[in-house]
Amino acid sequence: MSFILSTVSILFIPVILTGIIGYGLFKRAPVYEQFIDGAKGGIHTAVGILPFIIAIFIGIEAIVSSGAMDFFQGMLAPIFNLIGIPQELISMILLRPVSGSGSLALAETIMELNGTDGLVGRAASVMVGSCETIFYVLALYFGVTAVKNIRHAFAAGLGGYIVGVYASVMICRFI
Amino acid sequence: MMNYIWAAMICVGILFSILNGTLHDFTSGLMESSTRAVQFVIGLAGIMAVWSGIMNIAEKTGMIDKVATLALPFIRFLFPHEKNSDTIAMMLMSFMSNIFGAGNSATVFSLKSMEMLDAANGKSKTASNAMCMFVAVSMSMIQLVPITVVKIRSDLGAADPGDIIIPSILAGLISMVVSITICKIYERKSRHEFYS
Repeated sequence: MSFILSTVSILFIPVILTGIIGYGLFKRAPVYEQFIDGAKGGIHTAVGILPFIIAIFIGIEAIVSSGAMDFFQGMLAPIFNLIGIPQELISMILLRPVSGSGSLALAETIMELNGTDGLVGRAASVMVGSCETIFYVLALYFGVTAVKNIRHAFAAGLGGYIVGVYASVMICRFI
Repeated sequence: MMNYIWAAMICVGILFSILNGTLHDFTSGLMESSTRAVQFVIGLAGIMAVWSGIMNIAEKTGMIDKVATLALPFIRFLFPHEKNSDTIAMMLMSFMSNIFGAGNSATVFSLKSMEMLDAANGKSKTASNAMCMFVAVSMSMIQLVPITVVKIRSDLGAADPGDIIIPSILAGLISMVVSITICKIYERKSRHEFYS
């Protein structure tokens, strides 16, 4: 099962590329010029999002490097205990919404300390595999728009995240 | 909204650095993270250019319209008022890239989609329903193979590194249903406000 899934994943990009370029050639379109034209737009977008990325990166760095994250973790420990989420996972739950690479590094640390095949190690892996970096995504996606009031996007993201985290732990308990 | 979140992150950071006596680390962290941000974007710029180029071919040859028509039922449910086939195609590519674990490509398509939705929303300061739904679905989109975490697990000697794939998909699906439901509830509520 996991072999089939990973083969499909590996084939995804080559298949899309062949499909689009092949279709272009079939339609006798000037694919090279069209590619260059579009690529210019891509570079433009990349430069445009740079200020937003810098803002997000330093905001996250401020929270993590100052030790504020550790403080919140200690504060929340009793609550997580109450709802049956292992204490070792709190840092993951707090870090995952803001930092993709940070939470990946954290997953590695958690698995080194607690083992890969126990509840904690597996639940940490499932969280990385299923829960998104919601604050990062919100800031980045709305960053390229004129929107100031993001309405229910925040509630939808947070609700999905909380349920996803809880589901990760519960599923790992039973599967 | 963003103003407050961002300012709070920085201020809380500074406050805790003072309390913990780690102001020095704070300053060097600030420098490092801004450098990392630039490196990240430069890395992203390459793949962004590639996908924008490829999608431009697909758009000009009319392939996008064909794919968009195929996915119409799914899009109709999530985005009942979306008519623009370029936007639909861009959103679909973003979802697909997410599913297949092409993270950087997904970012590219998502940002393009947001720009298009923003234009359709008349650059308003208030997010449209479509924008909220798109962000909510993107945030909870499942990934078939979370390749990096599987790699880490196999490096650390897990018995079966891939045994978290099915649980991940399950947890992802649950969180996706919740996100979409929350969006739909708010959409209905705001519609009542318009009429009353």
